[in-house]
Amino acid sequence: MSLVETVLRSLKKLSGKPAEFKDMISVSVDRGHIVEAVAQAKAAGFDMLSDIFGIDYLSYPGHQGKRFTVAYNLYSTLSNERLFIRVNLADKETLPTITHLWRGASFMEREVYDMFGIEFAGHPDLRKLLTPEDLDGHPHRKDFPLGETPTLFDDGRFLDPAAFRAGMTGQDKGLTGWKGGVRKGVTSGE
Amino acid sequence: MNNHKTANAGSATTPRGEFETKHMRINVGPQHPSTHGVLRLVVDLDGERIARIVPQVGYLHTGFEKTMENRTYQQCVTYSNRMDYVHGFGHDLAYVLSAEKLIDAKVPARAQQIRVILTELNRIASHLVFIGTGILDMGALTLLFYTFRERETILDLFEMVSGVRMNYGYFRVGGLYRDIPEEFVAATRKFIAEFPRMLQQYATMFAKNDIFLSRTQGVGVISKEQALEHGLTGPSLRASGVPLDFRKAQPYSGYEQYDFEVPASKQGDAYARFMVRFEEMSESLRIIEQALDRLEPGPVKDPDRRISLPPRSELENSMEAVIFHFKLVTEGFHPPRGEVYVPTESARGELGYYLISDGGSMPYRVKVRVPSLINLQSLEPACVGGLFADMVVNIASLDPVLGDVDK
Repeated sequence: MSLVETVLRSLKKLSGKPAEFKDMISVSVDRGHIVEAVAQAKAAGFDMLSDIFGIDYLSYPGHQGKRFTVAYNLYSTLSNERLFIRVNLADKETLPTITHLWRGASFMEREVYDMFGIEFAGHPDLRKLLTPEDLDGHPHRKDFPLGETPTLFDDGRFLDPAAFRAGMTGQDKGLTGWKGGVRKGVTSGE
Repeated sequence: MNNHKTANAGSATTPRGEFETKHMRINVGPQHPSTHGVLRLVVDLDGERIARIVPQVGYLHTGFEKTMENRTYQQCVTYSNRMDYVHGFGHDLAYVLSAEKLIDAKVPARAQQIRVILTELNRIASHLVFIGTGILDMGALTLLFYTFRERETILDLFEMVSGVRMNYGYFRVGGLYRDIPEEFVAATRKFIAEFPRMLQQYATMFAKNDIFLSRTQGVGVISKEQALEHGLTGPSLRASGVPLDFRKAQPYSGYEQYDFEVPASKQGDAYARFMVRFEEMSESLRIIEQALDRLEPGPVKDPDRRISLPPRSELENSMEAVIFHFKLVTEGFHPPRGEVYVPTESARGELGYYLISDGGSMPYRVKVRVPSLINLQSLEPACVGGLFADMVVNIASLDPVLGDVDK
């Protein structure tokens, strides 16, 4: 039995159903059980904490449930396996720190705090990591403005970068008003 | 000067504890040559010994991840190599591997071999910078000029292939931008024939040098447990006794076909970190040689028209080719929904792009697991308790690239 299976079995009480996508195994855990789950995985043999990162599902099409996800990327140097432990969070919900399990979690948690505003209770030095002190807000939240300048053309046409890109992906009507499918303007003989 | 004298005299004649001692907090950087960029360190000193060291990063933060979330998958190649400008091909490779896993691209063997050749050449160039500047930090000026001479040869090879010496943007999702020029193979073979002699030359300049040995041996020791606890990866982790190399552990881009060793050491000191990287250069040479031998003519792009641009000649007489061309240029391809992560071994450690697709033509989330940022935390076990003068050696031996730290 592989190490991942052993850990998933021991986490059964704490977690939801494990998911697999292209050889990557991830499991979701409740906010209250995250330290316990990560500690169990570490004790079972996942000796390296590769990364902690946040995801903001605010504008993900069709997403239901809580807005944020924080994922713990664990790796075992002994059995060469990787496991992602995920925890879903609503806005303003906090997470307990795991810096007592891995000192290296310090920078990773600080980065998540900086980019998403998710606080880690008990972190010894929870400060911003990458962005300047005077920057308001958390840049990786999907509602954080990109800071591009809207362009006003000579003929009075106004180009809003976000709307232009939205139109390109076909998810939003954007500038061209095209929603996918046949373009009426081309085929009608008016 | 006077202060220095009295402090020394005091500690020599009177036992500690009679004086009220205080830690002194000093600031190093962000602009200081030994920090290899714009790294700021807040150091608490207990006399000459370091009591606490806190790295302050972010001076080069450019928001690459956020920018990439607003560019098409193919455009992102422009950004990935700008993070680690010393090992750019490593970042390019990590990014395209993740994007290709997302869209199930089938990369031709020739493209994979060329990628391996370029990435390994870049690894050598990166380690040459490391050795040259690392030993410069200890006061040895000469070696830098020799290592940069060979790095220049490698950069000429890159220029031949991609047109630029830095920020290559040569890999594409699904293959390469174009095939290598004919003269590249001969020029690379000439380089790998000459380079072992250069390595010997470097070794005569530093490997037995008394100053180098006394400044590195036993300095900045990071034990195996400390390394794992602080998330250290790459050559520095291998120097601490964990022989983890993702080229071997989870081979990508055809690394499983090549015969090479993973240099490792158990000492965990600065000397081991220097020597592991020094030995890695010869192993990279072996990989390049084998990849050159396997190189056969063939396509360098995935033939799937939904991923790669059609050849120019087809655009003139095929309407379908024009349509695919138009779609790829204006909006790019749309990978199915999903989340992928492919770990790779950059010159600095574990490097991987976590990509999330929402079905659109731009990645929904890009998270780069950069090795330099996480490795920087190992300054604490390496430096605390050691001499302040050794801090410079410890920074150099961990080989951070500040673009890779700050993203």
